[in-house]
Amino acid sequence: MKQILHIMKYKIKSYVRFDSEISSVRLIKSIASCIIYASFAIGAFFFSKTLINFLLIEITVGQFLLHEFISMILFIFFMSINIGNIIVSYSTLYKSNEVNYLLSKPIEPAKIFTIKFLDNFFYSSSTLLLILFALLIGYSVYFNMPIIKFAVLVLNFIPFMISAGSLGVILLIAVILLANRFGVKRIIYTFGAIYAVIIILFFRINSPRNLVMSVLRNYPILDKDIYLGELVSPILKVLPNNWLSQTAYWILHGDYTKVILYTSLQIGLAVLLFTSAYQLGKKYYLRTWLLNHKLTGEFNSKKQKMQDYFPLNCGTTNQFKTILRKDYFAFVREPSQVIHSLVLFFLLTVFIVSVSGIKYAGLGNFYLQTIIYLSIFIFNILLITTLSLRFIFPLLSLEGLSFWKLKSAPISILKYVLSKLYIPFLIVFFTSITLSLFSNYKFSSILISFSLIVSIIATITIVAINFGMGGLFANYKEKNPIRVSSSQGASISFLISILYMLFLVVLLFKPFSDLFLSIMIKRNFDLLRLFYFTLPMLFVSALIIGVFYKAAATSLKRDF
Amino acid sequence: MLQLTELQKKYGSFWAVNKIDLTVAKGELFGFLGPNGAGKTTTIKMMTGLLNPTYGNIMFDGLDVWKEPIESKRKIGYIPDQPFLYDKLTGREFLYFSGGLYELPLKDLTNNIEEMLDKLKIGNWIDKRTEEYSQGMRQRIAIASAFVHKPELIIVDEPMVGLDPQSALLVKKLFTESANNGVTVFMSTHSLNVVEEICTDVAIIHKGKIIFRDKIDELHKLKMKHDSSIEELFIELTNDE
Repeated sequence: MKQILHIMKYKIKSYVRFDSEISSVRLIKSIASCIIYASFAIGAFFFSKTLINFLLIEITVGQFLLHEFISMILFIFFMSINIGNIIVSYSTLYKSNEVNYLLSKPIEPAKIFTIKFLDNFFYSSSTLLLILFALLIGYSVYFNMPIIKFAVLVLNFIPFMISAGSLGVILLIAVILLANRFGVKRIIYTFGAIYAVIIILFFRINSPRNLVMSVLRNYPILDKDIYLGELVSPILKVLPNNWLSQTAYWILHGDYTKVILYTSLQIGLAVLLFTSAYQLGKKYYLRTWLLNHKLTGEFNSKKQKMQDYFPLNCGTTNQFKTILRKDYFAFVREPSQVIHSLVLFFLLTVFIVSVSGIKYAGLGNFYLQTIIYLSIFIFNILLITTLSLRFIFPLLSLEGLSFWKLKSAPISILKYVLSKLYIPFLIVFFTSITLSLFSNYKFSSILISFSLIVSIIATITIVAINFGMGGLFANYKEKNPIRVSSSQGASISFLISILYMLFLVVLLFKPFSDLFLSIMIKRNFDLLRLFYFTLPMLFVSALIIGVFYKAAATSLKRDF
Repeated sequence: MLQLTELQKKYGSFWAVNKIDLTVAKGELFGFLGPNGAGKTTTIKMMTGLLNPTYGNIMFDGLDVWKEPIESKRKIGYIPDQPFLYDKLTGREFLYFSGGLYELPLKDLTNNIEEMLDKLKIGNWIDKRTEEYSQGMRQRIAIASAFVHKPELIIVDEPMVGLDPQSALLVKKLFTESANNGVTVFMSTHSLNVVEEICTDVAIIHKGKIIFRDKIDELHKLKMKHDSSIEELFIELTNDE
């Protein structure tokens, strides 16, 4: 324990140490970060209050359905933390230089595991926590919860996250042990397939549409606030996301026996998974660390043969193609990049398929149609933001310490930026177009075209934000793109993108509600009205693109 | 000709490089000496476009390195003190990548790469990923990458780090041959023996200032005069007490 505390002391010391001189740029950056974080937390708070109000008062879904929707969101959240933690843990536990250093010292591997296991919590996304806590406060304030009830919610929420994270570490150790016996590829593909099946099964069993229809069948015979437990599949009742939403539901309804039951289950599961992860780590860390070295070596030598299929010196040697080729190799030869991208695109496909089935054009309420339309628009933009954060933000950081080669080469900044952005931008761009078309294809051609224009402008702007911020907050020492995408800079970039998204939503609300009204009452709609609203959007977007391109260019001129 | 005029670099209140004036003629093999933290790497990084000078300018062949970066960088080859390479590329791919940045015709690039592989005796390692390389092998690839576009000026920071005696010999031969062919070599090093052996000119930097600049023969004369080795002379010149 003494050794662990000794190491932790110096880790914390180096983590919290401030520079002896605070530069004005750093000060401005810090103040701007605080403002953005604060405004976003406040925004998330009001958003959650308004959304609950809308669901309960405007479209009267009832408290049961509300909490079932919360349960679904929590399931996605659980899976995201879980998958994210597998990747982050792999990087912190098995690929960190610090581990090499510590293993060369007289320290038990179990202690190293403990230190690095705790490291994961430091690397967890602070932004995500900030947003979730703001949403949680919004929820509590909406229902006028006293502080003690809010504390109970938090008490449930923390073990929920610990469970997701610990399960990630357990699975990681299992993957390495099994990969040694059955082969890396086979195990990774099997685990990937299992995750895909779990997600698909969850939404099959817990189809939001079927659930809504089942509840509406009972309405108005039964109060929609009543807990209709028989509508929830027994399998789902044993999931921690369900326990958490149940705790919230029963806190509102004052059934504290159930609150205690679900809280105990939540804490019990977290303790069980955390202890299991810790015990497994204690027992297998050194073994899996050595196995990982062996497996990586074998994997690389197999890959070595593969490279013959790639053209090494095809075509001309222009700078653009040279950088493109380098980035392509760097991407396809890093398994964590490929796997994470596949997971992301799988989830994206699930989302696209889901939104393409939504029919709301025939709903009588034009206000509701506008809300649904904008909600889907928000989801689309959130996805584009996530993709940009994952693929655009880390672009400059991933040059790493080898960036000296490019920085000392005769290449203009514009050409470099274009060659870096070319492929990632096209991926995000076509995803955005696909999302827009699939979300709106049931509408008139006017709405499809206009949505497409808005999506394209928004995509270019969000890509520019993430590229610029990725430059400003470039960390050339971090090799893991997922960690780069969950850094402080990435969080701020995410928040700026969200603020831009909110600006678009506010801007589009009026013309879209007018458009839906005109469709409903079969009145002609003056198209020019839509395009008047694109002018401020174009102006603000162009301004943002300019500012963030400048930020990226400035960052490229910085000392290296 | 390479010319540094009143070159300065300040970090906070610390002057890492303080008004350096240096001229290096074409074909010189210039040794840039100095103790740790003297400002060698900072000077080199300013010369290669990696650090912005606080003041002063760097001219090569009439081109200002910071005002005309693209044109001047075409003429420069840089070998850093830490040869970080793109891990996922093989040595050969890295060399094609380097040459591609200088937009060389493919045929010339291939020929140049083969020539460098032969000169540095890189062998079969060339088709392995650089993540598998030893420090010495990385250094050899970094050196090869600086030469593939046939630069007129080679700027090299601590070239002998991690090299075995055989490789060190190859590298010394490469630099000498290049200087004989009219290439200017600006070499920062701790290795006094290397300077003594191959350099034609030498400068010593200490606490950001040039404290000695002359032909290597003059350093030898000074050494004789003081009846000491070059190592003792260096320590005497850079002694703070």
